[in-house]
Amino acid sequence: MQASTQLAVHIRAVTKTFGTGEAAVRALKGVDFDARQGELLMIVGPSGCGKTTLLSVIAGTLDFEAGEVEVFGSSLHGMKPREVTEFRKRHVGFIFQQFNLIPTLTLIENVCVPLLINGTGRRVAEQKSAALLDRLGLQGRGHELPRNLSGGQQQRVAIARALVHEPRLVICDEPTSALDKDTGALIMELLRDIARHPDRTVIVVTHDNRIFKHADRLTEMEDGRVQRVHDQAGNSGENGGSSLFPPSPKLIT
Amino acid sequence: MYHLALKMLLGDRAKFVMLVGGLTFATLLMTQQAAVFFGLLTWTTSHMRNMRAKLWVVDRKVEQANELKALRDTDVNRVRSAPGVAWAVPVYMTIQSAKLADGNFKPVQLVGLDNTTLVGRPPVILQGRLEDVRLPNAVILDELGVKRLSAGRAKPLGLGDTFELNDKEARIVAICRADRHFFGYPYTYATYTQALQFAPKQRKMLSLVLAEPAPGWTLAAAASSIEAETGMKAYTEDELFWSTIWWYFRNTGIPVAFMSIILLGLIVGTTISGQTFYAFVHENLRHLGALKAMGASNGLLARMLLVQSLTVGFLGYGLGALMVTAFGRSVLARGEPPFMMPWQLPVGTFLAVMGICCLSALLGIRKVWNIEPAIVFRG
Ligand SMILES: Nc1ncnc2c1ncn2[C@@H]1O[C@H](COP(=O)(O)OP(=O)(O)OP(=O)(O)O)[C@@H](O)[C@H]1O
Ligand SMILES: [Mg+2]
Repeated sequence: MQASTQLAVHIRAVTKTFGTGEAAVRALKGVDFDARQGELLMIVGPSGCGKTTLLSVIAGTLDFEAGEVEVFGSSLHGMKPREVTEFRKRHVGFIFQQFNLIPTLTLIENVCVPLLINGTGRRVAEQKSAALLDRLGLQGRGHELPRNLSGGQQQRVAIARALVHEPRLVICDEPTSALDKDTGALIMELLRDIARHPDRTVIVVTHDNRIFKHADRLTEMEDGRVQRVHDQAGNSGENGGSSLFPPSPKLIT
Repeated sequence: MYHLALKMLLGDRAKFVMLVGGLTFATLLMTQQAAVFFGLLTWTTSHMRNMRAKLWVVDRKVEQANELKALRDTDVNRVRSAPGVAWAVPVYMTIQSAKLADGNFKPVQLVGLDNTTLVGRPPVILQGRLEDVRLPNAVILDELGVKRLSAGRAKPLGLGDTFELNDKEARIVAICRADRHFFGYPYTYATYTQALQFAPKQRKMLSLVLAEPAPGWTLAAAASSIEAETGMKAYTEDELFWSTIWWYFRNTGIPVAFMSIILLGLIVGTTISGQTFYAFVHENLRHLGALKAMGASNGLLARMLLVQSLTVGFLGYGLGALMVTAFGRSVLARGEPPFMMPWQLPVGTFLAVMGICCLSALLGIRKVWNIEPAIVFRG
């Protein structure tokens, strides 16, 4: 089996309900989902269909009721809370819609956080963080505060923070929706590059059809279920509906 | 991570200042008020430090050192004849008026000491000789007395100078250092017979009897022997000290007044610190949630909050303690208001402040522990 087709995430029949009784919301109604190593996978679908919920389950930040969730071959279901925390710490990088940088810390300090949580020494952590910021086009700005940066620059810092501890899984919820079109495209190209690493999987939840073209595959959700999976070749799983990919991605710039 | 935790707190300048300020204020209020309170309480027992004796025999109704009831002259002999008493001497204590050069009058605490033994003599003689107190019209005046009674004079009172004590001439033969009287009267020592002459004639002119147990007798045994024999009250030094202190606890508003201010300091400190810290945690919930999502354990987050809270605790306590010390030094130098700071006091305040900080951190920790890391994906 090729590295690129090995499964990073393997999910079967997962359900999640918020609340109880009258107020209960069934956010996931038996989701089947796979993500391969070395791919950039998008989860798309209408608001409220359960994208964020699914992403949280994959990231190990949310418990689920039934079903099977395997990430890199380990089942999250059997893990103790402490082990799930440990798993997130080592293997998951997070990118949020609102960047979520700590405003009182410098860029380097923000980027350091996952390394420090993993027990890396302060000096090494700062060196690595500074180097990564340089590579992401923020040369010499490591000691500034996030508020001095544009949205796109802040999101780049967030990407650095998500990558600095070299996680195998990078989780992004609406990473471009707080950014303008061009900046969003730049950020997506960056994520695209990151996903080229054969050991890394990038999962992006988005509404933004302008960025669909950056995905290797698209998982389309509707009402708590995965409806279809599309790939760049135009093949769709399930009932073979129309592709969500633009006819010719190259034509759209 | 801890240095980042501190930076997060320092970065919120307003809350940081509020936290440190609140704790400084609490420390200041608690320590300073307690020190003044202790100082005031010790003043109530100044007689005991200025006269020093193992047994204090007084009227049966006397409960504290500043309210003596006159005894009959013969009572000294009755104490002497009680079994277990090595010696017993009379002391006459009375408040008399001293006349100043400017014509004003100041009250002084006149202490008449047994002529031969001078038991109850001042603790420290600064100038002159103790024995000269046996000369005619002689008195030993304490430093405060020198200061008070020098008012209106070209130069301060010194050895050999005279002043009018209850219309009779008193000559200063020595100057002593004495602990300050609760009512602020200067101590003036004379012999017993001389003191009787200074004071207007009264029927009973004995205030108390100082005594010491015979060899082989414990203080308690000697005291109960005296009580059984004479029907008077015999206190050991310790008993009279605590009896006096408790008397002020029971019969004056002093403890309540001070305690309520000290309590106020504690409450204000706890409220400001607790509220501010809780608000800080609340405002940073999103970031703390992100840290949790990134794999920060509850333990790590709790330690971060503790580091933040204890750091402001140390700073606030340090500043407060510094200010109290400065206050204490300045008032002690002038000898004006009461002030006493035994080591237990700053230690106690320190523990109180640390307690406040732990409590504040705990409020935050509870909140952080309840964060679902999944909230980081919610808008
Ligand atoms: N903590 C929660 N408590 C109660 N209901 C929730 C909670 N989180 C999500 N839901 C509900 O679950 C459903 C799925 O929510 P989810 O956030 O996964 O949708 P989404 O696809 O990410 O939507 P959007 O595109 O608007 O972000 C929604 O109906 C939502 O209201
Ligand atoms: Mg969502």
